[in-house]
Amino acid sequence: MADESDIINKIEQGDVEIRTGLDQAISTSSKVFAWAIFVAFLITVVEVIARYVFDSPTFWAHETTSFLIAAIFLVGGPVALARDKHIRVRMFYDAAGPKRRRALDIVNSLIALIFFAGLAYAAWVMVGKSWFTPTGALHLEGTGTSWNPPTPALLKLLVLICVVAMFIQTVFHLIDAIRRDTSNATDGGE
Amino acid sequence: MGLSALGIEYGSYLLVGAIFVLLLTGQPLAWVTGLVALIFTFGWFGPMALPLVTSRIFGFITEYSLVAIPMFILMAALLDRSGIAKSLFNGMRILAGRLPGGVAVQTLIVAILMAAMSGVIGGEIVLLGILALPQMLRLGYDRNLSIGVVCAGGSLGTMMPPSIVLIIYGLVANASIADLFIAAITPALMLLGFYVAYVLFICWRNPDLGPPMSKEEAAQESLGSALKSLSAPLFIVFVVLGSIYGGIASITEAAAMGVSAVLIIALIRRELTLRMLQDSLVHTLQTCGMIIWIGIAAAVLVGVYNLMGGNRFVAQSILGIEAAPVVIIMVMMLILLVLGMFLDWIGIALLTLPIFVPIVIQLGYDPIWFGILFAVNMQVSYLTPPFGPAAFYLKSVAPKEITLKHIYTALLPFIALQLVVLLTILFFPPIATWLI
Amino acid sequence: ADYNWTFQTSETAGEPGFVNKQKWAEDVAALSGGRIEIEILPIGSVVPHTDTLDAVGAGILQGHLTDPSYFSGKDPAFAMMGNLVGAWSDPFELLGFMASGGGNELYAELVAPYGVQFIGAAATEPEAFVSRVPIRTVEDLKGVKMRAPEGMVYEIFSKAGAAPVSLPGSEIFSALDKGVVDAADNTVFATNQSLGMNDIANYPLYPGFHSLPMIDVSMNKAIWDGLPEDLQEILTASVQQFSFNHIYSVRQLDAAAVEEANANPDIEIINWSGDERAKFRRIAQQEWQNWAPKTEMTQRYYDAVTAYLKGRNLL
Ligand code: NA
Ligand code: NA
Repeated sequence: MADESDIINKIEQGDVEIRTGLDQAISTSSKVFAWAIFVAFLITVVEVIARYVFDSPTFWAHETTSFLIAAIFLVGGPVALARDKHIRVRMFYDAAGPKRRRALDIVNSLIALIFFAGLAYAAWVMVGKSWFTPTGALHLEGTGTSWNPPTPALLKLLVLICVVAMFIQTVFHLIDAIRRDTSNATDGGE
Repeated sequence: MGLSALGIEYGSYLLVGAIFVLLLTGQPLAWVTGLVALIFTFGWFGPMALPLVTSRIFGFITEYSLVAIPMFILMAALLDRSGIAKSLFNGMRILAGRLPGGVAVQTLIVAILMAAMSGVIGGEIVLLGILALPQMLRLGYDRNLSIGVVCAGGSLGTMMPPSIVLIIYGLVANASIADLFIAAITPALMLLGFYVAYVLFICWRNPDLGPPMSKEEAAQESLGSALKSLSAPLFIVFVVLGSIYGGIASITEAAAMGVSAVLIIALIRRELTLRMLQDSLVHTLQTCGMIIWIGIAAAVLVGVYNLMGGNRFVAQSILGIEAAPVVIIMVMMLILLVLGMFLDWIGIALLTLPIFVPIVIQLGYDPIWFGILFAVNMQVSYLTPPFGPAAFYLKSVAPKEITLKHIYTALLPFIALQLVVLLTILFFPPIATWLI
Repeated sequence: ADYNWTFQTSETAGEPGFVNKQKWAEDVAALSGGRIEIEILPIGSVVPHTDTLDAVGAGILQGHLTDPSYFSGKDPAFAMMGNLVGAWSDPFELLGFMASGGGNELYAELVAPYGVQFIGAAATEPEAFVSRVPIRTVEDLKGVKMRAPEGMVYEIFSKAGAAPVSLPGSEIFSALDKGVVDAADNTVFATNQSLGMNDIANYPLYPGFHSLPMIDVSMNKAIWDGLPEDLQEILTASVQQFSFNHIYSVRQLDAAAVEEANANPDIEIINWSGDERAKFRRIAQQEWQNWAPKTEMTQRYYDAVTAYLKGRNLL
């Protein structure tokens, strides 16, 4: 049934609009990150077997899967942005001609930059609080359990990283839109 | 600065208006909602309040009820790529037979089966969107009918127990979750019945909307070959339902059990390749990113609105109504319907239930009954624009030529059916409470 | 009002604790002659429950009424001070330790660097325990798959021979119902009864013995420091008032729920003997000793608690 799989891939890849080199890089690296989902799946199965078959539930499965899934959710943001997969109301956008669309792209990029800049500032403050105690000593915020893995501190840092990544992606989208040549196009729909 | 000078009433209008206007630019929905939330945080409370925004992001992504979503998406992606999905639909054709609209009915039956397997929405719609939608389109089914069946049927996961919506309602309202689950069964089957009846009715009036199979095609399908092609999908259903009802796995874990069942079968059928697994994982990652960031933005908006005193504003507006109790309940339903246009159900629950439930009890109504009304209302919210999670889930897997506008148009008759069910339960509470 | 504040709590709107906290806000308004108005919000309304400490310190929220264990990831002292598992069978013992055993001073010292002023401690009745199988002694815990949040509860039940399972709160009901777990650590008896927990797990253990969380009532330090002295006094006194009201109200609710459960022939309420409770407390103490050396604060807290318990002849 390999052909079936190929067809679906072709459809999905055909859908993907990669606009810049950075988007390409993020899109390619997603092939590595995506395996975290598989790891989370394996751990869940291990926990079920350990508990049901061997009556000895693990202490680490729950915290580890929660961490992996949360990380997946975050990383999914830049990946979906790189592949232009975020949901948009395209009614007016699709109706616009190349010139107007370029203008919309520029405005939208600028708006998105404000959003990501605000998020980055907030994330910066949050990371500071989860990596340092109020007295300034380095102490990674943990889950507070006996095992106490520092996953909250890591996830909060990942929020910052993903937001900064999306900021830079959007900067490139902005440059791309500004540089786009629409001199030969006539306006008013396609 | 000082957006707070507007007061909560005009603040609320500005907030909703800003989202609408910004949406029209074609900006991703998640950025629009998030940006409006960010601006209101900054403008209403000042820069020191900004960490609220990322605090809510962290809170949302670590929400345990979401853990099953990637597993269900992965299960769908694997089913689809392995060809097991095709078997399921081919096998079920014997059920569809020569009945006009038969495949749509079959899709709805698959949907309610899946609804009994999971408590969240998202996974189911993605699964049906990949499995059922292309099949129906290929068979010449009306596009609107096909989309509607997938979205409305796929949303039943939070109506049919187990349901995370009812669990959260029970926790917030301090109502018996067991009773909520029992009370939800009849309304869930009623929704299903309405959808089936609607499909059969319009296809009976105009068979072109759901063309029956030709005699030859229908004859090809022997009972034996149908059972054979159904064996693999039935095994997966058995594993998921068996691990929940057999006390082997929690509802969230059951999704992962389903993934392992799919992998085992694909391995036996020699369809499992590394490439296929890799593609399915990347697809899951990307779909999660798209869905979750919308949820993240909605969660941020709810946090800011609560801090602005939005919940008090809503409560006072309701208490200001001098009318019969049933009118107050109807106003609540109306508020839920309107909020359902903009927020996801978790946000709506956090925003309204703390205000509504005490009033409902004070008015002398049964909180279990109100919980069922809430759940049906959330069914509507999945389908209504501009923020319709069901539509987004489907859009993430539907062919590119199907736009959000197509999807929302297709959903209108199904929204009408849901509203009929909502009103019926509102005026005949025993539909919900007779089994308790 | 001169002061309009928003305080976030750790309960959903339906729980008795939330209603009592709203009542506290009304009392503060009345006692201050309307100078202070406090809006009480349910869990997760503005920030997640794990982030209220930071939010209060930053002034996003003006205060919170919450379980300190939620901040255990920042400092293990929060875990010990929030819920020293097995230590208290009666809320007045915990409150006594806070007032006269040094608890208040230690907790105030712990939160001060976060920009937070500790107003006072409250407490609830010990949490009940839901079970599908009869657990009459510590011995009976052996091998029982039970839901416990990761942390001290998890470790202590593990030491007592049970097989603790980590499950989020929203999964407890279904997991008990279907038999994924046989028992669960959940909230007070009255709430379990109204959620229908005792109908699917027929052997609740009551009165509780394992978990009695402290309720921390705190507010933003900068705002507190700017308050006139009479308002500070009013806040402090009103928290003590709240503590009494809350304990009595939960007792009343528990009593009604116990009566309801007793009327159901399927439900058997199991009450552990004093000996079993002491046996469990000694197992718990081994785990406290593991936590004590983690920081200077945890050690000081451990020393203070054991001294108090010994003085009360409870250890
Ligand atoms: Na369900
Ligand atoms: Na909606």
